Amino acid sequence: MSLYNRISVFRAEQGISRRQLADAVGVNHQTIGYLERGDYKPSLELALKIARHFGVAVEMLFSFERFEPIAMTFKRAGEDE
Amino acid sequence: MKTPRRNILAILDNAVRWTGIPARVADDMSGAPDRKHRPLRWIPIWMIAFSCTLFILSLAWPPALDMVAITVSFMGSIAAIAPGIHICGPLGKSSLEDDEREAALRKDSFLFCFGLLTLLNCVGQLLLMSLSHLQNWQTAQSVFVAASAFMLNLTLFGCLPTLYASWNMPQLPKE
Repeated sequence: MSLYNRISVFRAEQGISRRQLADAVGVNHQTIGYLERGDYKPSLELALKIARHFGVAVEMLFSFERFEPIAMTFKRAGEDE
Repeated sequence: MKTPRRNILAILDNAVRWTGIPARVADDMSGAPDRKHRPLRWIPIWMIAFSCTLFILSLAWPPALDMVAITVSFMGSIAAIAPGIHICGPLGKSSLEDDEREAALRKDSFLFCFGLLTLLNCVGQLLLMSLSHLQNWQTAQSVFVAASAFMLNLTLFGCLPTLYASWNMPQLPKE
């Protein structure tokens, strides 16, 4: 089963590099790269560490379904307001 | 003041330093963070192909003294190169520094290597025993084939984990 993630989106939003995120969660920076590409599925511990680093729930970062584009999220949020 | 004469041990020490290997070992031991352990996708294949060719030659050609000498020299070069491939490859760093992805990759690589080696040796032993019986091999040829098979095992053990790990590490785009 595919596991999708939005690590690169959150990383870009916070303006941190792969290496900085890797140092913060205690893994090799290549591991972050493989995670972002979907080539590697993280352990629960690593997923929770990354979510905690970004200050969001783990479901915000990882999902079994494709994430909708950010533009759609913003559009929907605008409509709700 | 009389300058001390350089004895043979000092000359040998200098010769060893000149090869660059001691510096490399010191670098490895220091665990320098910038040390690169890059994927090696092709060099292990060349090494394995080399050993396979020699093994096939040992089966096809009658044993001769010069072939035994070639085998021994190949064994020496493989014994020297295989650890280098392992150290420079993705599995070369200390396993204590592995994160969860690297630990899983290391485990998979060695499992693949040992699984394949076990299978090859089980099948190969039966085939070689049958072949030696059918072709009525002499002692010299048996020794030659055994030496080549040992070298092939050595090469596979040294190169297969690195090869497996390297092909399971796709290149990442630069940030």
